[in-house]
Amino acid sequence: MLNEAAVKELNEIRQKYPNARAALLPALYIAQREFGHLSPEAYEAVSEILGVPKAIARGVATFYVMYKHKPMGRNIVQLCTNVSCMILGAEKLVDFLKNKHGLEPGGTTSDGRFSMVIMECIGACGTAPAMLVNDDFYENLTEKYIEEILGKYK
Amino acid sequence: MIKVTINGKEIELEKPVTVLEAARSAGIKIPTLCYHEQLEKYGGCRLCLVEVEKIPRLQTACTLMVTDGMVVRTETPQIADVRRGILEFLLINHPLDCPYCDKAGECELQDLVEKYGPAKGRYKEKKRKAPESLEDPVFVRNMERCVMCTRCVRMCDGVQGASAIAIINRGGHSHMEPFSGGKYDCEYCGNCVSVCPVGAIMSRLHRHSYRPWQVKEKTETICPYCGVGCTVIAQVRDDSIKRVIPKIGSSVNNGMLCSRGRFGYEFVGSSERLTSPMIKKNGVLEQATWEEAISLTAKRLGEIKNKYGGPSIAGIASPRCTNEDNYVFQKFMRVALGTNNIDSTARTGYAGTQKFIENIFGQGATANIISGLSNSDSVLVIGGDPTAINPILGLQIRACSRKGGNILAIGHIKGLEKFNPVTVSPRFYTETLLLEGIVSALKNKKGLPGSIPALEAKIKDISTSAKEVENGCGIAEKDFIRFTDTLSESLTPSIVLGKDIAQSSGGSYKLMLISAINYLMNARIYLLSERANEQGVLDMGCAPDLLPGYRPLSFAEFRKRYENAWKSPISEKPGLSIFEMVDSAKSNALKALYIMGENPVFNLPNSKAVKAALKNVEFIVVQDIFLTETGKLADVVFPALSWAEKEGTFTNMERRIQRLRKAVNREGMEDWRIISEVAKNMGVKLDYSGAEEIFQEISRISPLHRDLTYEEIGKGGAIYPYKGEPLRGVMEDIQMHKGSSVNPDGKLYLRLERPLFHSGTLSTKAPALVKIYPEAVARVSPAVGEALSLKSGDMARVSTRTGSLELPVNIDNKLDNLSVMLTNNFEDKGAFSLMEYTIDPVTKAPVIDANEVKLEKVLA
Repeated sequence: MLNEAAVKELNEIRQKYPNARAALLPALYIAQREFGHLSPEAYEAVSEILGVPKAIARGVATFYVMYKHKPMGRNIVQLCTNVSCMILGAEKLVDFLKNKHGLEPGGTTSDGRFSMVIMECIGACGTAPAMLVNDDFYENLTEKYIEEILGKYK
Repeated sequence: MIKVTINGKEIELEKPVTVLEAARSAGIKIPTLCYHEQLEKYGGCRLCLVEVEKIPRLQTACTLMVTDGMVVRTETPQIADVRRGILEFLLINHPLDCPYCDKAGECELQDLVEKYGPAKGRYKEKKRKAPESLEDPVFVRNMERCVMCTRCVRMCDGVQGASAIAIINRGGHSHMEPFSGGKYDCEYCGNCVSVCPVGAIMSRLHRHSYRPWQVKEKTETICPYCGVGCTVIAQVRDDSIKRVIPKIGSSVNNGMLCSRGRFGYEFVGSSERLTSPMIKKNGVLEQATWEEAISLTAKRLGEIKNKYGGPSIAGIASPRCTNEDNYVFQKFMRVALGTNNIDSTARTGYAGTQKFIENIFGQGATANIISGLSNSDSVLVIGGDPTAINPILGLQIRACSRKGGNILAIGHIKGLEKFNPVTVSPRFYTETLLLEGIVSALKNKKGLPGSIPALEAKIKDISTSAKEVENGCGIAEKDFIRFTDTLSESLTPSIVLGKDIAQSSGGSYKLMLISAINYLMNARIYLLSERANEQGVLDMGCAPDLLPGYRPLSFAEFRKRYENAWKSPISEKPGLSIFEMVDSAKSNALKALYIMGENPVFNLPNSKAVKAALKNVEFIVVQDIFLTETGKLADVVFPALSWAEKEGTFTNMERRIQRLRKAVNREGMEDWRIISEVAKNMGVKLDYSGAEEIFQEISRISPLHRDLTYEEIGKGGAIYPYKGEPLRGVMEDIQMHKGSSVNPDGKLYLRLERPLFHSGTLSTKAPALVKIYPEAVARVSPAVGEALSLKSGDMARVSTRTGSLELPVNIDNKLDNLSVMLTNNFEDKGAFSLMEYTIDPVTKAPVIDANEVKLEKVLA
């Protein structure tokens, strides 16, 4: 179940849109934040509050990669491997994360501290390679810099 | 007038339609895949691309509206190329497993590829793999075959309104899935199966059992379940129904079916069907020949009639049997046995409600066209969930909401909850006060029209304020005002009325209040009907106070007319209602009971008492297709032919008379023919060559069916009064009974659940429906469950004064804290075995809302 504040937030978002289905995307983000990922319970909560059938909500969410469909680690590393990043060594960084931290694309570390997702272009081609950790932005990545960054997240 | 030229052919159109529709109206075929006439237009498959002059690129004919002077070409080398290309794309992933696929032979993709090619694709990559999903008991999903036309989703979300499936994922990974990913949690209407152009969603019932082209017999008939009367097509091979599909086009259902209609046909071929007549010898039913059973029945009925007189014999007719069966049955009772003791389970609500309303508004007041509901600007729903009782009527209410109409619900209506109903839920036993409040509010807003003084006299006495409603019913004043404002502002309202009203305390008084709402709003009223021929059984005179054609027995003039036609006197004494028959059996006054296609020992409330009473009856005859609880008590049991095995007519709730056609051959006799044989053995001539001859007699003497022929009915649209004169101006006093008020606090009441997936015990003989809804469960609210630490699936003992049952519990978030809901469908687990009833003196319906119940946890 969603807590009271989240329910209130959802209802407020609903008011900004002409119909309930239009409010689905932001509503699903709130549910994802509260439940950690879009579990059946998360869809049910959104469906109950917005009055949008849960199958439809799931159909919408699965279209987008930025919704999480399975349990995730506490922090999400989102590394870009698109053209510029790739040329500047992003794939080596993928290997580094795998070998050093046991963090595979789409996987989660055994301690649940990190999950990793490979991103398409995040618009930082001039400062590639780049990544997001949760909502924080990092560019000009090197193995050493990544070590430093990951240390900030528990 | 709009002029368009398609392939050089000039077409004139009255109003703008799509290019596709214009072409089809002129007989020009344009291939389609995602287009379906029942669904919202999509323009996704691109197969209907056509060339339009002055538009540079090809256009989708299914979405493009015609404009005056438009010149269209549908078959050019460029278009053929494009179509071939699209099909090649579809075949990248679509497996060529046609030899194994049930759809082969009626597959739209197969037909298109056959016509437009290509025989072979150029793609070397591996096809998408997805294992066939057999997780559901009824549906098989094969997502390798899906061509992403989204017809199923548009059907489920946009027409059926169940919204149980959606397209998930993106691009090449997308496919259709129910929410769980496996098993469906839906209304099981199967309309997604109907519209799937390929073998991606199929019914599991006939999986790998036949090929579409092997089905030679396609019989258009009427669904045997509820009072909507959907036209179905039974596809038969070797005298076994392989599939039931809806008819698209002129029919009540227009291509839609519900779970019962589509998946409930298997009872016809059940191995439990009765095959031979049986006679009870030394307390045991033993097989007998037809001659033995018929002559014994005739002999015993004759003896009892001579010894105790006709009124000691009674008959129970069946709302599942045809008009013809019922007509012959009542004629037999009246002519051969000389009694008006004939009734049916229509007495449990439908008959009395209809009579009450027609008394005020005139005959035919409840005969309204179902499809008209969607054109109402508001629908008031009270006394039952229409989407469960009459699902296809329920769809019209959903369509009304989609078109911008308001749904006004009294009490929580599960099947409409997603359609933004304006709901007021009165506390238990305070529905009357709420209705009084609504009548008062409407009276103040709209004023009295002045056309029915007797009703206005009653309305004038009613004065209940919003404040009183708030205090009494627990409905906030602002919610109540919103409800009455929405209602009073509507211009074309409809009222949908379920049986729960007639079966509740003070039912006739509530009916007066609902009639008052109907009157003040100038609304149309629809009565939900649970059985296919509930209306017909009344029309045929299977009621203690009615003659065929719905003519009151009490009028000498009508009796005379039938006496002349039947060349036999008719007793002027009204007969016993079905409940009076039970009382009469209890007091040993009833000596013989003839039951056709009904199971009173299960289908009447307080069924244990009914059983005890029937044990007193000297001689019981039962005609049925299964050996029912009642059949087990009988002295003679005749095997009857089922709905699929006979000709005849049903009359639906709109009063539309529709033809049943024989789909399956089976040895045996129709119900009317058994009765006619018994009559012959009693020396009474009741001979007919077939159902059509019976109908000819009906249309000769019943004013409602005058001049109606089978041929005319076959064309559809035979809604009575067909050339007949309706009875108006015979209004009697409005009698009503307020019932007693009860303080329900702190108690639990047993209430009857009317499920979507079952109908009587008939549906429990259909394995597919049993798989969907396998057993009786006691449904309670979370608070009730918590108080006894019961979770869904735990066993509980449900006890009333008449007995107790052990049942699994189901927790329902939407239920109130005073109710325990239980169905009356499953053998030995019927709600009616735990319910006592009183009779409403006006409607003669059983009042069953006062059964206190005790719930205990059963420890494993």
